[in-house]
Parts: sequence; C-alpha cells; structure tokens
Amino acid sequence: MTNRQRPALIASLVTWPLVLLIAFPLLWMLLTSVKPQAELFTTPPDFLPNAITFEHYRRVLEETAFLQYFRNSLVVAVSTTLLVVVVAVLGAYSLVRFAYRGRELLASLVLFTYLLPSVVLISPLYLMLVKLGLANTLASLVAAYTSFALPYALWLLRSFMAGIPEDLEAAAMVDGASRMGAFVDVVLPQALPGIISTALFSFILAWNEYLYALVLVNSDEARPLTTGVMTMLISAFNIEWSLLMAASVMMSVPLIVIFAFFQKYLTSGFGAGGVKG
Amino acid sequence: MAEAALPGARLERRDALLGLALIAPTVLVLGAVIVYPLLSAIYLSLFSLYTPTLEGHWVGLANYRAVFGSGGFWSALATTAVWTVGTLTLQVLFGLAMALLLHQNILFRSLARSLVLFPYFLSTVVAVLVWRWLFNDLYGVVNHALMAAGIIDAPVSWLGTMPNAMLSIIVVGAWKFFPFVVIAILARLQTIPEALYEAARIDGAGPVSRFFDITLPQLRDVLTIVILLRTVWDFKEFDLIYLMTGGGPVNGTRTLPLIVYQQAFGLNQMGLAAAHAVAMMLVMLVFMLAYLRRAGGRVA
Repeated sequence: MTNRQRPALIASLVTWPLVLLIAFPLLWMLLTSVKPQAELFTTPPDFLPNAITFEHYRRVLEETAFLQYFRNSLVVAVSTTLLVVVVAVLGAYSLVRFAYRGRELLASLVLFTYLLPSVVLISPLYLMLVKLGLANTLASLVAAYTSFALPYALWLLRSFMAGIPEDLEAAAMVDGASRMGAFVDVVLPQALPGIISTALFSFILAWNEYLYALVLVNSDEARPLTTGVMTMLISAFNIEWSLLMAASVMMSVPLIVIFAFFQKYLTSGFGAGGVKG
Repeated sequence: MAEAALPGARLERRDALLGLALIAPTVLVLGAVIVYPLLSAIYLSLFSLYTPTLEGHWVGLANYRAVFGSGGFWSALATTAVWTVGTLTLQVLFGLAMALLLHQNILFRSLARSLVLFPYFLSTVVAVLVWRWLFNDLYGVVNHALMAAGIIDAPVSWLGTMPNAMLSIIVVGAWKFFPFVVIAILARLQTIPEALYEAARIDGAGPVSRFFDITLPQLRDVLTIVILLRTVWDFKEFDLIYLMTGGGPVNGTRTLPLIVYQQAFGLNQMGLAAAHAVAMMLVMLVFMLAYLRRAGGRVA
C-alpha cells in the first residue's frame, strides 16, 4: 500500500492548494460579511476579521426588502418545481413506455429546447404575459421558468425511467394492477431518486434565474432575490460591500443546504442529463 | 416467474391513448412557453415594434438587412467568439486537470470534490457580486495580491478597461462553469477498467503515455459532448456578462445575447431585437445540430 500512498500524498499536495484557490472567493464572501465596515478598507486587507459582527446581516434583514425577495424566490422556485415535476413525470413515462406517432420528434424537440437561448424567447414571452395581464406577478415568473426547467426535467427523468426494467410493471399488471396502478406502485418508487434529482435541479435553476426576472418584474412585490439583490447594489449611493456579501451568503443558504444533504442526487442527475455520451 | 417473461412489446402497444393523455400536459406547456414564443420571435423579426407601446408595422426583411448590414452584429459575434473560445478553453483544460486530480486517492477527497463543484450551483448573481468585490479597483483582493507579488505596480481597473474586462469575464466564467466539466469527466473516469492500466504498466508505459494512450481515448466521447454542450451554453450566456460589465467598457464585452436584450429593452426595438435573436440562433445551429446528432442518437 505504501506504493500507492506516496503518489496519493503528492496528489493531495498538488490538489488542495488548487481547491482552496477555487473556494477562496466564497470564503472571502463569508469573511467580508462578518467584518466591521472599517476593516474592509485597510491596505493591505487582513485575511481574518479582527472583530466579528453580524450587524450587516441585521441591516439586510431589517432595512432592505430582502425577506420579501426571499419569500418571492421561494414561492416561485417551489411552484415551478412542483409544476415541472408533475408534468415531466407523466410526460417522461409516456416518452419511455408508449409508442405513438411523433414521439421521436417530441424527444428531439425537448433536447433542442434544452439548448435554446433565453434571449430568443424573452420578447415573445414578455408580450404574451403582458397580454394575459400577468406582467409583474409571481405567476409570470413560474410560466417563464417552466420554459427552461421542463425540458431539463423531461430529459433527466426520461433517462432515469429508461433504466427501470419493464418486467416489473408487466409482473404487477399480471397480478391484476391497472396500467396506472402499476405506474404508481412500481415505476414511481423506482424513479424516486430521479424525481428527487429532477426536483432539486428545477429548484436550483428557478432560484438562480436572473434574465426573465429582470424583464418580467419591476416591483418589489414580485421581485425575486436575484434581481432584488442587484437592485440593492444599484440603488445604494455608495456600494456597501459588506451588506451585499451578507445578502449573498443568505441567498445561498438553500443551495448550501441542498448541497450538504443531497449532493449525490445532483451528481447522479448530471450523469442522466444529456451529458451521458 | 413465467409472468416476468411477458414480452414488453405487448405492454408498449397497448393503450396508446393513455400514452397520449400522459404526454398531453407536456405538449401543452411546451407549446405555450417554447414553441409559440419561438415562432412568434421569428414572426416579430419581420416587424418594426416599439417596446413600451407594443405598436408596430410590417417591415419584411428590413430588420435582417439592418442586422447583417451594420457592424454591430458582426463585432458582437466576434466578441462572443472570443468569450466562448476563451472561457471554454479554460473550463476544459482546468476541468480535465481537476478531474484527474480528484480521481486520485487524495486526503479528504469528498470535501475537495464538494468545494470544487459548488461554484457551478451558485447563483450567477452571487458569483458576480463576489468577483466584483474581488476585482474592486481600490480595495479588491486581486489587486492587492498581484501588487504584493510584484506583478503589477499600481491597482489595475479590471472591469473598466479593455482587454482586462474580457479577461476578467473569461476567468469568472471559467471559475463558475468548469465544475460541469469536472463532474462529467470524473463520472467517466470511474468507469475506465483498471485492467487497461495494469496491462499498460506491464508493457512498461509511464504515466504520460498511459494518459495519452488510455485515458484520453476513453474520455473522447464524453469530452466531445461536454465541449458541444458548453459551447452552446457559453455562447448564449447572458447573466454573467451583463452583470459583470454590462457589455462595457464601451462595447468591449457586448456579446450577442446582450445586443438582443439591449435592442429589445434598452433601445425599445423589439422587432430588431428578434431579428438579432434569430440571426444568433442561426449561428448557434451548427453546434446545436452537432450536439443533437451526438446525444440525440441515444433518443431512439
């Protein structure tokens, strides 16, 4: 084993400095957010704060519309995820298990839309949502976010479901289950890891989206975090970096939670989602 | 279990109507939020349309003549190419190197992997805010570090001058998106049979020739897919560039997606914006079709 430990040690010594370099911007965000304002402007900057303060967090929560933005983001991301997962689970099952005309074409269309630039759809979507009277609402964001989350979810679930053996359903149906009964009792539990992975991806995509929010919403009532936090940057006379870093940290909390507890679903989603060569 | 041997083909042909019912919501939603907007984007590109009032008139192909006849589109195309090639090259090279390192049996490997992957899942808004703080002219860490290392004498404006602004977005793009390459390659590395390496070792192949003779050929397919996918995604990137530089200084980092946005919502020329968008899609189509051929082959 010593034969193998030495290269491993060398690899660690090469890898870890690079890993820390990659992680540095995020560490710096965290450190900036707890430094007293005056400490930001020392030259050269101190790496660790001399005093730790949560004043910036308090100010973001109390003096800005951050909580409103957070709530909006949460509502939009959860709604988008629910809508997309329900539609995509049924659609992916249909694409994988049923034969009808146009199925291949539809599958290709899904893959194509997965590559489509948002800026192409943005003007017509804007016009459509204005006509429907949905401009400046959370519903307009859910509708717009579906345009990228649904193809992604379909593609992901399709490849997860393709991996479930058909024999299991056949056996359940021989035992008297209906087609939908077999779907609920056999396919859904088997596809659960895929469904979780899809839900997490949809949530993250919706949580992080910026362009549609920028175009479709211009009031604080419906503004999500992404555009909301940028508004804080633009409206401030002096850019208050410690406030922005505190807001950035809080905005990333759901992602950190997902990352800490569900990381294996994220990496398995990668394998399934179009990357698989 | 004789039942388990029931041919799947019979299952497949039964109740095709149920299949259609299950796909119906998908078709409806995709039709409403993608197909209809896509077709109306093409339709809109034939109009002169003022965004605030949404009033306009038919102009035929005049918008396209304006797009291809003006220098704006072509210089934005060149800018997009520089950005895409620059950031993609860094993503692939650094992603490949990092995947190979993280495949080794290093200390705290799963922690290292988590830290490397995280930027990809982070909101672009957060990534941009952090990097703009790092790039800050007076108090940014980047300038301090480079000055301390003696590489520069005075603080440099990273986002306000060219070519620094382009360099900065390329680096931030690489930082944000290289984990995608790492994840894809890492997954593939784990499936290369160890026996191949053992055989090569017996034949006396060193680490370098093992990489070029075994690892790289094995990674070829996944690398092709990843490069095509990232080419398309980098090409259409809006958030990162818009938020880092807004397309500036002057139009130094104004890529095609930014020009579309600017035309539609800055200059209020929605028809012209749609023409830019369609033209941009035509350019992307080459890469999209290449990807569809590669990945779509598995659809059937």
